[in-house]
Amino acid sequence: MRVPEPRSGRIDPRAPRFGAGITAALLLITVFLGLVGAPWTGSLAQRALDPAFLLLLLVALLFLWGVVSPRAAPWAVLYRRVVGPRLKPPTELEDPRPPRFAQGVGLFVVSVGLVLQLLAVPWALPIAAGAAFVAAFLNAVFGFCLGCVLYLTLQRIGLVGRAATT
Amino acid sequence: MTTLGALLAIVALLTITVAAGFTLRRWRSAVQRVDTAEIIEPARLGAERLGDRATLLQFSTELCTRCPGVHRTLASIADAKQGVLHLDVDLTHRPDIARHFRLLQTPTTLILDRDGAIQARFGGAPPRDVVELELDRVTRMEHAGA
Repeated sequence: MRVPEPRSGRIDPRAPRFGAGITAALLLITVFLGLVGAPWTGSLAQRALDPAFLLLLLVALLFLWGVVSPRAAPWAVLYRRVVGPRLKPPTELEDPRPPRFAQGVGLFVVSVGLVLQLLAVPWALPIAAGAAFVAAFLNAVFGFCLGCVLYLTLQRIGLVGRAATT
Repeated sequence: MTTLGALLAIVALLTITVAAGFTLRRWRSAVQRVDTAEIIEPARLGAERLGDRATLLQFSTELCTRCPGVHRTLASIADAKQGVLHLDVDLTHRPDIARHFRLLQTPTTLILDRDGAIQARFGGAPPRDVVELELDRVTRMEHAGA
Protein backbone atom coordinates (compact mmCIF):
# COMPACT_ATOMS: atom_id res chain seq x y z
CA MET A 1 0.00 0.00 0.00
CA ARG A 2 1.28 3.43 -0.88
CA VAL A 3 1.01 6.45 1.34
CA PRO A 4 -0.73 9.24 -0.57
CA GLU A 5 1.63 12.00 -1.62
CA PRO A 6 1.24 14.80 0.93
CA ARG A 7 -0.67 17.81 -0.30
CA SER A 8 1.33 21.03 -0.50
CA GLY A 9 4.33 19.56 1.31
CA ARG A 10 2.46 18.42 4.41
CA ILE A 11 3.97 15.42 6.15
CA ASP A 12 2.87 12.35 8.08
CA PRO A 13 3.15 13.46 11.74
CA ARG A 14 4.51 10.01 12.66
CA ALA A 15 7.62 10.63 10.54
CA PRO A 16 9.21 13.20 12.90
CA ARG A 17 8.26 11.02 15.88
CA PHE A 18 10.01 8.05 14.29
CA GLY A 19 13.14 10.16 13.78
CA ALA A 20 12.88 11.44 17.37
CA GLY A 21 12.86 7.84 18.62
CA ILE A 22 16.17 7.05 16.90
CA THR A 23 17.60 10.40 18.04
CA ALA A 24 16.54 9.67 21.63
CA ALA A 25 18.30 6.28 21.54
CA LEU A 26 21.52 7.85 20.22
CA LEU A 27 21.33 10.59 22.86
CA LEU A 28 20.79 8.10 25.69
CA ILE A 29 23.93 6.21 24.59
CA THR A 30 25.76 9.56 24.50
CA VAL A 31 24.68 10.37 28.06
CA PHE A 32 25.93 6.96 29.22
CA LEU A 33 29.30 7.31 27.45
CA GLY A 34 29.63 10.88 28.73
CA LEU A 35 29.01 9.81 32.33
CA VAL A 36 31.30 6.77 32.29
CA GLY A 37 34.16 8.30 30.34
CA ALA A 38 34.39 11.74 32.01
CA PRO A 39 35.21 13.04 28.49
CA TRP A 40 36.02 16.58 29.68
CA THR A 41 39.46 15.48 30.95
CA GLY A 42 42.59 15.24 28.81
CA SER A 43 44.02 17.35 26.01
CA LEU A 44 41.89 19.14 23.41
CA ALA A 45 42.55 16.35 20.89
CA GLN A 46 41.53 13.71 23.44
CA ARG A 47 38.36 15.63 24.28
CA ALA A 48 37.49 16.01 20.59
CA LEU A 49 38.08 12.30 19.87
CA ASP A 50 36.16 10.99 22.87
CA PRO A 51 33.41 8.54 21.78
CA ALA A 52 30.72 10.58 23.61
CA PHE A 53 31.83 13.74 21.78
CA LEU A 54 31.87 12.00 18.40
CA LEU A 55 28.43 10.47 18.92
CA LEU A 56 26.95 13.82 19.96
CA LEU A 57 28.65 15.40 16.93
CA LEU A 58 26.88 12.82 14.76
CA VAL A 59 23.54 13.71 16.38
CA ALA A 60 24.29 17.41 15.80
CA LEU A 61 24.99 16.75 12.10
CA LEU A 62 21.71 14.83 11.81
CA PHE A 63 19.86 17.75 13.43
CA LEU A 64 21.61 20.10 10.98
CA TRP A 65 20.49 17.89 8.08
CA GLY A 66 16.94 17.99 9.42
CA VAL A 67 17.03 21.80 9.48
CA VAL A 68 18.68 22.31 6.09
CA SER A 69 16.83 19.65 4.12
CA PRO A 70 14.16 17.89 6.22
CA ARG A 71 12.83 15.80 3.33
CA ALA A 72 16.28 14.35 2.55
CA ALA A 73 17.31 13.72 6.18
CA PRO A 74 18.11 10.01 6.75
CA TRP A 75 15.32 9.17 9.22
CA ALA A 76 12.75 11.00 7.09
CA VAL A 77 13.82 9.01 4.02
CA LEU A 78 13.85 5.75 6.00
CA TYR A 79 10.34 6.47 7.28
CA ARG A 80 8.99 7.42 3.85
CA ARG A 81 10.54 4.46 2.00
CA VAL A 82 10.40 1.64 4.56
CA VAL A 83 8.34 2.34 7.69
CA GLY A 84 5.46 4.51 6.44
CA PRO A 85 4.31 2.17 3.65
CA ARG A 86 3.97 -0.66 6.21
CA LEU A 87 1.68 1.36 8.49
CA LYS A 88 -1.88 2.48 8.01
CA PRO A 89 -2.10 5.64 5.91
CA PRO A 90 -1.96 8.75 8.08
CA THR A 91 -5.30 10.15 9.25
CA GLU A 92 -3.87 13.66 9.47
CA LEU A 93 -1.02 15.46 7.79
CA GLU A 94 0.91 18.19 9.50
CA ASP A 95 2.77 21.30 8.52
CA PRO A 96 6.51 20.52 8.35
CA ARG A 97 7.60 23.89 9.76
CA PRO A 98 7.20 23.25 13.53
CA PRO A 99 9.14 19.92 13.50
CA ARG A 100 11.82 21.52 11.33
CA PHE A 101 12.15 24.34 13.84
CA ALA A 102 12.34 21.72 16.61
CA GLN A 103 15.34 20.15 14.83
CA GLY A 104 16.98 23.56 15.04
CA VAL A 105 16.29 23.75 18.78
CA GLY A 106 17.87 20.30 19.17
CA LEU A 107 20.87 21.43 17.13
CA PHE A 108 21.29 24.47 19.40
CA VAL A 109 21.15 22.42 22.61
CA VAL A 110 23.66 19.76 21.53
CA SER A 111 25.95 22.40 19.96
CA VAL A 112 26.20 24.14 23.34
CA GLY A 113 27.22 20.77 24.83
CA LEU A 114 29.84 20.21 22.11
CA VAL A 115 31.40 23.67 22.49
CA LEU A 116 31.53 23.42 26.30
CA GLN A 117 33.09 19.97 25.96
CA LEU A 118 35.86 21.43 23.77
CA LEU A 119 36.33 24.06 26.49
CA ALA A 120 36.71 21.20 29.02
CA VAL A 121 33.64 22.19 31.07
CA PRO A 122 32.84 19.23 33.35
CA TRP A 123 29.44 17.46 32.90
CA ALA A 124 28.38 19.84 30.08
CA LEU A 125 28.28 17.12 27.43
CA PRO A 126 26.13 14.56 29.30
CA ILE A 127 23.83 17.33 30.58
CA ALA A 128 23.26 18.79 27.10
CA ALA A 129 22.73 15.29 25.68
CA GLY A 130 20.34 14.55 28.56
CA ALA A 131 18.30 17.70 27.93
CA ALA A 132 18.02 16.88 24.22
CA PHE A 133 17.12 13.29 25.14
CA VAL A 134 14.18 14.44 27.29
CA ALA A 135 12.77 16.49 24.40
CA ALA A 136 13.31 13.73 21.81
CA PHE A 137 11.83 11.04 24.08
CA LEU A 138 8.71 13.11 24.90
CA ASN A 139 8.20 13.65 21.18
CA ALA A 140 8.72 10.00 20.21
CA VAL A 141 6.73 8.36 23.01
CA PHE A 142 4.13 10.95 24.02
CA GLY A 143 3.82 12.92 20.78
CA PHE A 144 4.69 16.04 22.73
CA CYS A 145 7.07 18.15 20.64
CA LEU A 146 8.61 20.83 22.86
CA GLY A 147 10.34 22.54 19.92
CA CYS A 148 7.02 22.68 18.04
CA VAL A 149 5.29 24.28 21.02
CA LEU A 150 8.10 26.82 21.14
CA TYR A 151 7.64 27.51 17.42
CA LEU A 152 3.90 28.05 17.83
CA THR A 153 4.46 30.30 20.85
CA LEU A 154 7.03 32.40 18.97
CA GLN A 155 4.69 32.56 16.00
CA ARG A 156 1.83 33.70 18.20
CA ILE A 157 3.87 36.61 19.48
CA GLY A 158 4.99 37.28 15.91
CA LEU A 159 8.72 36.44 16.03
CA VAL A 160 8.78 33.65 13.43
CA GLY A 161 6.67 32.56 10.47
CA ARG A 162 4.30 35.11 9.06
CA ALA A 163 4.38 38.69 10.18
CA ALA A 164 2.30 39.55 13.21
CA THR A 165 -1.30 40.01 12.18
CA THR A 166 -3.57 42.67 13.48
CA MET B 1 31.64 7.84 37.30
CA THR B 2 31.41 4.05 37.58
CA THR B 3 29.40 2.02 35.09
CA LEU B 4 26.85 1.23 37.79
CA GLY B 5 26.54 4.91 38.69
CA ALA B 6 26.06 5.84 35.03
CA LEU B 7 23.41 3.13 34.60
CA LEU B 8 21.57 4.39 37.68
CA ALA B 9 21.70 7.93 36.29
CA ILE B 10 20.28 6.66 32.97
CA VAL B 11 17.45 4.88 34.79
CA ALA B 12 16.73 8.05 36.79
CA LEU B 13 16.71 10.14 33.60
CA LEU B 14 14.29 7.72 31.91
CA THR B 15 12.01 7.60 34.97
CA ILE B 16 11.83 11.38 35.26
CA THR B 17 11.16 11.76 31.54
CA VAL B 18 8.36 9.17 31.55
CA ALA B 19 6.81 10.81 34.63
CA ALA B 20 7.02 14.21 32.92
CA GLY B 21 5.37 12.73 29.83
CA PHE B 22 2.42 11.34 31.78
CA THR B 23 2.06 14.61 33.70
CA LEU B 24 2.08 16.63 30.48
CA ARG B 25 -0.47 14.31 28.90
CA ARG B 26 -2.83 14.57 31.86
CA TRP B 27 -2.36 18.32 32.06
CA ARG B 28 -3.06 18.76 28.36
CA SER B 29 -6.22 16.70 28.23
CA ALA B 30 -7.77 17.60 31.58
CA VAL B 31 -11.30 18.95 31.71
CA GLN B 32 -11.59 22.19 33.56
CA ARG B 33 -14.92 23.16 34.98
CA VAL B 34 -15.16 26.85 34.35
CA ASP B 35 -17.61 29.19 35.96
CA THR B 36 -17.20 32.69 34.66
CA ALA B 37 -19.70 35.47 34.40
CA GLU B 38 -18.50 36.16 30.88
CA ILE B 39 -21.08 35.73 28.14
CA ILE B 40 -19.60 34.91 24.73
CA GLU B 41 -20.94 37.02 21.91
CA PRO B 42 -20.95 35.03 18.68
CA ALA B 43 -20.34 38.14 16.56
CA ARG B 44 -16.92 38.64 18.15
CA LEU B 45 -15.88 35.20 16.95
CA GLY B 46 -17.23 35.75 13.47
CA ALA B 47 -20.26 33.50 14.01
CA GLU B 48 -23.91 34.36 13.47
CA ARG B 49 -25.37 32.61 16.47
CA LEU B 50 -24.77 30.11 19.24
CA GLY B 51 -26.47 26.74 19.71
CA ASP B 52 -29.98 26.79 21.19
CA ARG B 53 -29.04 24.46 24.02
CA ALA B 54 -25.22 24.40 24.02
CA THR B 55 -22.24 25.29 21.84
CA LEU B 56 -18.99 23.40 21.32
CA LEU B 57 -16.55 26.23 20.67
CA GLN B 58 -13.30 24.93 19.19
CA PHE B 59 -10.17 27.03 18.67
CA SER B 60 -7.77 25.90 15.93
CA THR B 61 -4.76 27.17 14.02
CA GLU B 62 -3.41 26.45 10.54
CA LEU B 63 -0.37 24.58 11.84
CA CYS B 64 -2.28 22.40 14.30
CA THR B 65 -2.07 18.67 13.63
CA ARG B 66 -4.83 17.43 15.88
CA CYS B 67 -7.35 20.15 15.06
CA PRO B 68 -8.97 18.45 12.01
CA GLY B 69 -9.54 15.23 13.99
CA VAL B 70 -11.08 17.13 16.92
CA HIS B 71 -13.17 19.09 14.42
CA ARG B 72 -14.64 15.85 13.00
CA THR B 73 -15.37 14.46 16.48
CA LEU B 74 -17.05 17.64 17.73
CA ALA B 75 -19.01 18.10 14.51
CA SER B 76 -20.43 14.58 14.76
CA ILE B 77 -21.31 15.07 18.45
CA ALA B 78 -23.11 18.32 17.57
CA ASP B 79 -24.91 16.64 14.65
CA ALA B 80 -26.19 13.89 16.92
CA LYS B 81 -27.63 16.27 19.52
CA GLN B 82 -30.40 18.67 18.75
CA GLY B 83 -29.78 22.28 19.64
CA VAL B 84 -26.02 21.80 19.93
CA LEU B 85 -23.85 23.82 17.57
CA HIS B 86 -20.16 23.30 16.76
CA LEU B 87 -18.11 26.42 16.01
CA ASP B 88 -14.47 26.18 14.87
CA VAL B 89 -12.58 29.47 15.17
CA ASP B 90 -9.24 29.82 13.36
CA LEU B 91 -6.87 31.73 15.63
CA THR B 92 -4.07 31.99 13.08
CA HIS B 93 -4.96 35.58 12.28
CA ARG B 94 -6.66 36.38 15.58
CA PRO B 95 -4.02 36.57 18.34
CA ASP B 96 -6.42 38.86 20.21
CA ILE B 97 -8.84 35.96 20.75
CA ALA B 98 -5.98 33.70 21.88
CA ARG B 99 -4.93 36.31 24.43
CA HIS B 100 -8.47 36.95 25.60
CA PHE B 101 -9.14 33.28 26.41
CA ARG B 102 -5.53 32.67 27.54
CA LEU B 103 -5.19 29.90 24.97
CA LEU B 104 -1.82 28.21 25.26
CA GLN B 105 -2.50 25.29 22.97
CA THR B 106 -4.67 24.33 20.05
CA PRO B 107 -7.04 22.70 19.83
CA THR B 108 -8.79 24.06 22.89
CA THR B 109 -12.52 23.46 23.20
CA LEU B 110 -15.01 25.34 25.36
CA ILE B 111 -18.53 24.18 26.13
CA LEU B 112 -20.95 27.08 26.32
CA ASP B 113 -24.43 26.81 27.76
CA ARG B 114 -27.47 28.22 25.97
CA ASP B 115 -26.75 31.71 27.31
CA GLY B 116 -23.19 31.64 25.96
CA ALA B 117 -21.52 31.27 29.39
CA ILE B 118 -18.41 29.07 29.47
CA GLN B 119 -19.08 25.86 31.41
CA ALA B 120 -16.13 23.60 30.61
CA ARG B 121 -12.77 23.77 28.93
CA PHE B 122 -10.74 20.99 27.25
CA GLY B 123 -7.14 21.23 26.14
CA GLY B 124 -5.87 19.04 23.32
CA ALA B 125 -7.88 16.21 21.83
CA PRO B 126 -10.45 15.13 24.44
CA PRO B 127 -11.97 11.63 24.17
CA ARG B 128 -15.44 11.65 22.66
CA ASP B 129 -17.18 10.21 25.72
CA VAL B 130 -15.64 12.83 28.01
CA VAL B 131 -17.02 15.62 25.80
CA GLU B 132 -20.45 13.96 25.66
CA LEU B 133 -20.53 13.58 29.45
CA GLU B 134 -19.73 17.26 30.00
CA LEU B 135 -22.21 18.26 27.32
CA ASP B 136 -24.92 16.25 29.06
CA ARG B 137 -24.06 17.95 32.33
CA VAL B 138 -24.34 21.39 30.72
CA THR B 139 -27.66 20.69 29.00
CA ARG B 140 -29.12 19.03 32.13
CA MET B 141 -28.10 22.00 34.25
CA GLU B 142 -30.15 24.22 32.00
CA HIS B 143 -33.28 22.14 32.71
CA ALA B 144 -32.65 22.23 36.45
CA GLY B 145 -32.22 25.98 36.34
CA ALA B 146 -35.30 26.61 34.19
